[in-house]
Amino acid sequence: MSSMNNAIFSVARYGTRLGTRSEGEQARGDLLAMLDTLPAKGCLIISLDGVDVLSGSFADEAVGKALQLLVGRAYGDRTMILRSPTLELTEDLADKLDQRKLAMLCVVGDAWSVIGRVAAPLRETLARVIERETVVVKDLADTLGIPANTCHNRIRRLVELRLIREEATGASAPQTQYRFRAIRCLED
Amino acid sequence: MALGLVIETAEEIVDAVVERGVDRLDLRSVPFIDPYALLLLSLALRERQTAGRCPLTVLWPETLAVRRWMTAMRFFDDLRERGPAREPLRSPSSALQPIVEIGDEAGVGRIVEGFERRLNDRYPLGPPARRRLVGVMFELFQNVPQHANATGELPSSYGVAAMQDYAESLVLAIADNGIGLGRSLALRSDPSPMDDEAAMRAAVLDGLSRFADPGRGHELQKIVGTVRSWEGTIVVRSGRALLYQSDREGDLYRVPPFPGVQIALRIPRRVFGIDEVAPEPETVFNEFDE
Repeated sequence: MSSMNNAIFSVARYGTRLGTRSEGEQARGDLLAMLDTLPAKGCLIISLDGVDVLSGSFADEAVGKALQLLVGRAYGDRTMILRSPTLELTEDLADKLDQRKLAMLCVVGDAWSVIGRVAAPLRETLARVIERETVVVKDLADTLGIPANTCHNRIRRLVELRLIREEATGASAPQTQYRFRAIRCLED
Repeated sequence: MALGLVIETAEEIVDAVVERGVDRLDLRSVPFIDPYALLLLSLALRERQTAGRCPLTVLWPETLAVRRWMTAMRFFDDLRERGPAREPLRSPSSALQPIVEIGDEAGVGRIVEGFERRLNDRYPLGPPARRRLVGVMFELFQNVPQHANATGELPSSYGVAAMQDYAESLVLAIADNGIGLGRSLALRSDPSPMDDEAAMRAAVLDGLSRFADPGRGHELQKIVGTVRSWEGTIVVRSGRALLYQSDREGDLYRVPPFPGVQIALRIPRRVFGIDEVAPEPETVFNEFDE
């Protein structure tokens, strides 16, 4: 565990060359069990440190299916991110997430990227949220130079994909107000 | 047969043994056999035996180097009884990766590790091409336990893999005698009638799988793309359809019917940063000639 809210799931515990769906299924069981133990807004860091080969089949079974459940809100507001020694190692996983129309934040060293299916405007919006850490739609729309409705739609999609968090601000008139926060669990 | 039996000519075997049902297969003049042709020959002989047709006499290649190579590849063991886990004989000039039987999915990781180890012993390969090749092996090998008998209609299915290096390329072959792509895709919840050519297009070119899960499928499609990006050659055979894709040309061909799925990849060695020229198999075994 890296902090109370976060946990690290080391994929290398299953070996350095990970290839079959049956191995991935076993890993997914352990991964979801660990996700279940996290607090309501906890973040699971899936670490590929020590992994040499990650096939699409293993990656899809272990991570793709788990992310599908997460996006389906089976695990509340919890989130997952990927930590990898190289982006190349995540290529097959990225393809599987693309097939599932999902996406995931991936941290390589100090740099982040997003793997899977995310349209360019969403990537741009996500980059601004990560840069600012916390945003409200109106300010973000001004920064991006787009209508507030467009910005709101982008933000909602990023929340649905579990790439950013939504938080109520406390101000409620006339409706509940929200701000949106980057997932920064690696720095916690 | 006087031709070398390789990816491009291996259909001669199916045509003679299965389609025409010859009673004598004359391989005496065959100067060269690659792993794909070797696996196809092995499966064709099995198929002939299983079908209970007239006995087949095989006249083996007269070139000693070819017979030595077939022995080193454990081909003749295959005609008798092969255990799944025997460590193959190794020497610097022997077969790179003899025929290995692919059993259940739990054993796939060990088989891939063996292939990689033998390849690495001969050529310390650098990533990322090595990683990609290992990933390709994982996908192709696990297809055998996952799909070859997906309908459960066969008493058992049989899958094998082998690999050999040549002066300019590596050849990896995987073959099974299972239900084939068409029967597998017929298990979809929304099956549409497909002949073998349509099934080949759907599975290999369009990435279709028998599963509704969106994470399944696309692996063969991706492997074809990878081999093309390496300027290599790939052949996928299922039923009456054969897809051939080289760096220069590609097409779908109608071939004699044969059970299962057979795949071969011919990958240029330079992809792996192997620059030195290896001896061709015709000369590799001269030191053993009697």
